Amino acid sequence: MSESDVIETRGRFSIHFKLYITVLIMVVITEFIGIHKIPVGPGTIVLLPMLYAVIIGILITPQVLGKPIKILQKVISSKEVELAGGIVMISLLPLGVKYGTLVGPAVEKIVKAGPAFLLQELGNLGTIMIALPIALLLGLKREAVGASVSICREPTLGVIGGRYGISSAEGTGTLGTYLVGTIFGTIFFGILGGMAVLTGLHPYALAMACGIGSASMMTASSASLATAVPAMKETILAYAATSNLLTGITGLYSVVFLALPFTNWLYKKLQPRIQKGKEAV
Amino acid sequence: MTNIKGRIILNQLKVLILVAILILIGQQIGYGVSIIDAMPGMILVILICIVALIIKGFTPKLKFPAFAWASLIALILTMPFVPTSKFILEYTTNVSFLGTTTPILAFAGISIGMKVARLKELSWKLIIIAFLVFLGTFFGSAVIAQIVLKIQGLI
Repeated sequence: MSESDVIETRGRFSIHFKLYITVLIMVVITEFIGIHKIPVGPGTIVLLPMLYAVIIGILITPQVLGKPIKILQKVISSKEVELAGGIVMISLLPLGVKYGTLVGPAVEKIVKAGPAFLLQELGNLGTIMIALPIALLLGLKREAVGASVSICREPTLGVIGGRYGISSAEGTGTLGTYLVGTIFGTIFFGILGGMAVLTGLHPYALAMACGIGSASMMTASSASLATAVPAMKETILAYAATSNLLTGITGLYSVVFLALPFTNWLYKKLQPRIQKGKEAV
Repeated sequence: MTNIKGRIILNQLKVLILVAILILIGQQIGYGVSIIDAMPGMILVILICIVALIIKGFTPKLKFPAFAWASLIALILTMPFVPTSKFILEYTTNVSFLGTTTPILAFAGISIGMKVARLKELSWKLIIIAFLVFLGTFFGSAVIAQIVLKIQGLI
């Protein structure tokens, strides 16, 4: 079913009804629990309602708690799951507007920080230097290239899929990072955002780092960072949103022209040294 | 053709209205923003969303997502030297940023549930690498941003 067919209401009333009521209950519960901040030294573990929501959401699906608790499948079946996927894209829009209203008033400040915004995009290449050697140490071969080339959101999936095929070794690696990001990304970045203050890096620099090319991961990390450093909330959210928008535009080109050639080059250099005795592939 | 497009936008509008209701209820509970006070701002937000969806609907070849359009329109309308700025900001402050995030992640959580089974097919090594990639991307950018902002004297 295409994305526009999924949200069709005609003849699909009960699917819509069950899903919205479920989400309403989830929103009421998670907002009732509210924000919890756990100080860890100068850093903070920030637990936001959205974090509980994503966890409850995963838990109530047919393949998780729905498996042992059959009655749950009567409410959330694969049809409701499919509809939820179609709604996510639209439910992101009010957040998009909200981000715009945070960036607009700060536009002068953002133009001033322009060079930092552009150059930190190169920081995405930092992933290769850290992840590739360790992937090789773990014994991965060409999967290592696909997995560590970037944070592997949709543009990367497209590039690697086009170049090597999605079922190739490289494709398996990219798909792995993509999938882990999809499932654990918001939880991971939601906790990292508040904890990152511990590194001593300035919250504004961390805010720019939150824009990694995924709206939900950027939201989780920047909201958590902003809750940990409330005095800088406005600027943190504005910087994160701007950086994410920029990554959305530059991400694809950066993978094609920088990240992928660099990963392949580094693989050729490191593979024979790290995986001695095993032939290069 | 226009009929189909109209139908799609109507369905999208229904989703937006229901999501808006979820946000209004959520932020009343979580952040104490009264539903009545937040209503005008929420209507403004939905209007911008609809414009973004219409633009996206008519530019299918452009790889610019509706989310980015929504953000960009709101950005332009709230720049300090644009006359709409004051008016829009006055109302949209009552739509809490965190309030908009909870329904999204609730839907997202449900939609990724089916992928959990596929995780078992992955080698644990790829899962470790993925987390290293997350850390590398985040701190790689943060370190460069820190250096440049320092040089510029902005922090």
